[in-house]
Amino acid sequence: MDQPPDLFDAIVMAEERYHGEGYQEGYAEGSCLGLTEGRRHGVSHGANVGSEIGCYQGFAFTWKCLLSECTTEKDSKKRRMLDSLLGMMQKFPYADPTYAQLHEDLDRIRGKFKQVCSLLSVQPNFRVGPGRSALSF
Amino acid sequence: MSWLRAACARPGQDGSADADVFDDEADETLPAQREWKKRVERRVREGYRDGVDAGKAAVLQQGFNQGYKEGAEIIVSYGQLRGTLSALLSWCGLQDRGSPWIEPLSDLLDAVGQCEQSVLQRLTAAPPQPHVADLLDSIQDMDLCPSAPACEKSEEEGLGRFDTDLNTDCRQEADPSRSPLSPGHRTQRGSRPAKPSFSWIAEQTASIVEQLGLSADILQNIGRPGN
Repeated sequence: MDQPPDLFDAIVMAEERYHGEGYQEGYAEGSCLGLTEGRRHGVSHGANVGSEIGCYQGFAFTWKCLLSECTTEKDSKKRRMLDSLLGMMQKFPYADPTYAQLHEDLDRIRGKFKQVCSLLSVQPNFRVGPGRSALSF
Repeated sequence: MSWLRAACARPGQDGSADADVFDDEADETLPAQREWKKRVERRVREGYRDGVDAGKAAVLQQGFNQGYKEGAEIIVSYGQLRGTLSALLSWCGLQDRGSPWIEPLSDLLDAVGQCEQSVLQRLTAAPPQPHVADLLDSIQDMDLCPSAPACEKSEEEGLGRFDTDLNTDCRQEADPSRSPLSPGHRTQRGSRPAKPSFSWIAEQTASIVEQLGLSADILQNIGRPGN
């Protein structure tokens, strides 16, 4: 106990070292857990958006094909509307989570899709997203 | 944590400070050692917990972004197939409320939903991306195996299992010669498998489109899972 301040420092430093060693091991495992956990959430969110956009794409494209032979003024209006919806989706980077306008664009596409359905006088009978409530994620 | 055991087993040799502390009061060495050991363990635990939190926080977003892209790109095909079936269903309903195609189309629509859900379940249960193996190696090097069970164990066998699972559902579509949309490769209606695959549903849809006298162009919008 000749040099209490140094001794005290040494104890504090040793504790810091043990903390640091534990921290390093924890960090390695945390990185592994974080990737897995983040990925799981990401897959589920990405699948929701992909599923929804896919539904709109399949629906709009198919209806466009079904109407391709029709020549009335009303039918060509429907086709224009479908083209516009398909165009919006073509430009939409649905698989890019870093795209800043993701939610805004998705909302606009949803609105357009509703318009299309009302113009076609149909109620699409798919649920948006497997097992989830319609139009929410 | 071999280094911890080593440190605790011989606290006196671990550093001059430790030796000084315990040598001064020989009678109290044992209780002091125990006390010191407890403190060391507590500090390591605290450090470990802090490290886990920090490590997690650092890569959560990265993992999310990877998973998001993967989920969106794989599941979009299932959505396209559902959207196509739904459009056909609404079209048949508008033409004729009693159309005989309504029932088979509805069945196929349900089947896509189930198929989509089981693929999604596998995706969320699948092991992490391959490059995590690097991390796992380093954890093994650190002799931390008992505390890293989930990631480590499932890595090898899990990746294998994932591939096999995809085989049953999606791999067929990757082979152009076995394209479900090509003519002459149609399953008979009525022989519905217990767990219909994406390719089986796509084939059935193609068959119905043809029998309705519609253009096969309709099916062009449907991508293949994973592409």
